[in-house]
Amino acid sequence: MSILEIEDLEVTYERRDGVRFKAVARASLSVERGSIVGLVGESGCGKSSLARAAVGLVTPTGGTVRFEGKEVQPLTRRARPREQTRLQLVFQNPYSSLNPRRRVGDQVGDAIVVAGTQSRTGRAARVAELMELVGLPSTARSRYPHEFSGGQRQRIAIARALAADPSLIVLDEPLASLDASAQAQVANQLLELSRELSLSLLLISHDLAIVHHVADIVSVMYLGRIVESGPTRALWTEPQHPYTEALVAAVPHPDGTGAMPEVLPGEVPDPARPPAGCRFHPRCPHTMDVCRLREPELATVGNARLAACWLRDPEAGSGS
Amino acid sequence: MCLQPREAWQDFPERPLVSAILLDVEALRVSLPARGGAITVVDGVDYDVAEGEVFGVAGESGSGKTMSVLALLGLLPPGATTSGRARFGDLDLLTLGKREQRDVRGGHIGMIFQDPMTSLHPMLSIGQQLKEPIKLHLGTGRKETSRRAAELLEAVRLPDPERALRAFPHQFSGGMRQRVAIAIALAGEPELLIADEPTTALDVTVQAGIIRLLDALRRERGLSVVLITHDLGVMSAIADRVAVFYAGRIVETGPRNDLLQRPRHPYTKALLDALPDPGKPSDHTLVPIAGAPPTPSELPPGCAFHLRCSHRIAACEAAVPALVHEGARASACPVDPFRA
Repeated sequence: MSILEIEDLEVTYERRDGVRFKAVARASLSVERGSIVGLVGESGCGKSSLARAAVGLVTPTGGTVRFEGKEVQPLTRRARPREQTRLQLVFQNPYSSLNPRRRVGDQVGDAIVVAGTQSRTGRAARVAELMELVGLPSTARSRYPHEFSGGQRQRIAIARALAADPSLIVLDEPLASLDASAQAQVANQLLELSRELSLSLLLISHDLAIVHHVADIVSVMYLGRIVESGPTRALWTEPQHPYTEALVAAVPHPDGTGAMPEVLPGEVPDPARPPAGCRFHPRCPHTMDVCRLREPELATVGNARLAACWLRDPEAGSGS
Repeated sequence: MCLQPREAWQDFPERPLVSAILLDVEALRVSLPARGGAITVVDGVDYDVAEGEVFGVAGESGSGKTMSVLALLGLLPPGATTSGRARFGDLDLLTLGKREQRDVRGGHIGMIFQDPMTSLHPMLSIGQQLKEPIKLHLGTGRKETSRRAAELLEAVRLPDPERALRAFPHQFSGGMRQRVAIAIALAGEPELLIADEPTTALDVTVQAGIIRLLDALRRERGLSVVLITHDLGVMSAIADRVAVFYAGRIVETGPRNDLLQRPRHPYTKALLDALPDPGKPSDHTLVPIAGAPPTPSELPPGCAFHLRCSHRIAACEAAVPALVHEGARASACPVDPFRA
């Protein structure tokens, strides 16, 4: 059974001018126990909204989010049901998600108290244990966030999420504000934690290279929908959706060959006025008649792979 | 301009055999005022940029890459001091008066920044922001200015240039804004464009468009580009030569493919080992660099990288290693562990 099951999720926002639009438009995604799923897409594709809905930070306007078999309740002023604290979120910028005026050990300690996973006496030992788990010396707990580098701060944020004994952590662009070396460090840490604690991770990122490195499964999002999903290597080498193909081809490689990245023509359309039919069709090099008329559903296209593209549908192409 | 010929890079047979040096920077030092006295953020940097060349400047944040080019434009923070030479034609950019600096900025050297939303004025139309530098630098009349403005937007491949002239920055996407910023930087017909992290704020698909645009501009117009980026993938796509900065100094420089495929300096090697390369199998290990970059006010003695370096020997601490040239390449490491 999947640990996280997102089905036909819809998140609707209202713009300042009163126009309502769907940031997430019937997106489906699942995370298996112990696996690392990467969610990629351009800015504005709805990946952060999906992450927030997945942990109950925004209320979906349609569809369901199930965590360990139970529907995730939107966050209210009341405490969450205990079993849902096993679903944790880590934000992009650890400097704004950590309290600058409290020692980091106390902040991790708070999370232990809230999660109720330790008695008061066991708390200090658990803080030290968590710090060690993310590769920080236990002396780090008596220091303040500003005394740490960006990478270390992100690891403190991860330690705090681990305090609740989570089975799934959703990470929204956890590496985006870090330099290459810190990025490598945190990426390695995530891989290690996932293996050691059989922890599931949903990693939201715009950086395909790092997702390629870390994730077991990758889902690709475009304009509110998941357009493709599959094992990382296979998705990378044989993309089934033209958008995935374009994303992969746009990543420049640091190999010194001087190969130019490929350009995807056009721009992401206004989510308030998505194109009819397949949302990607105005930018797609393979558009057929059917693509302009009917929206393709995410369907199985072979071994553990899903794609929402008429090209992969043996019966399409006739323009039905 | 008084320009001297030079050998072309053998890696680029399509290039003319002799291209001229446009910018020649020698022993550049930049110091910024600080509470306990001045701190040196750029410490003795030499490089040159040829006509039509994309010269890449790589390094982590705080390595002095941006300061080393702001110095050329007279855009350093108040109280900053410089020494050395920066020959650009007949001029030494470091000794110019305010007036000459203004002529150089935009007229001979254009600049674009990471975030076009902060470098564009939100309340002025694209046309107003584009026409002003054209008039200022070229002294053109109204009609000619308008014609040139539309032409520039076309040159940066902005769809519907006439309409774009009447639009405002917020009406464009990030990628289109960066194209507008490039058009404005080119308004005074500069020979050199300095691009400071021009694609860092953009999505990868949009980034690809900007990389290709910069490449097209240098081919079409013979524009030289100093490209500052921490992204070695971007560097690999477009730079002809690369200089790697660490703690205010160049630690390695050379032709792009040679340098990225066979790094000589342990820092360059370490940077590459920390990067995910989608060309490699996904289970290759990322190796973080030990420790953290030093702050400019507390540099370790000798090689600034030695505390983080796995190849260090006693000599690394004793003196700052000089950049040793060998053909088109140079590296500042007394150990030189990756010597071919």
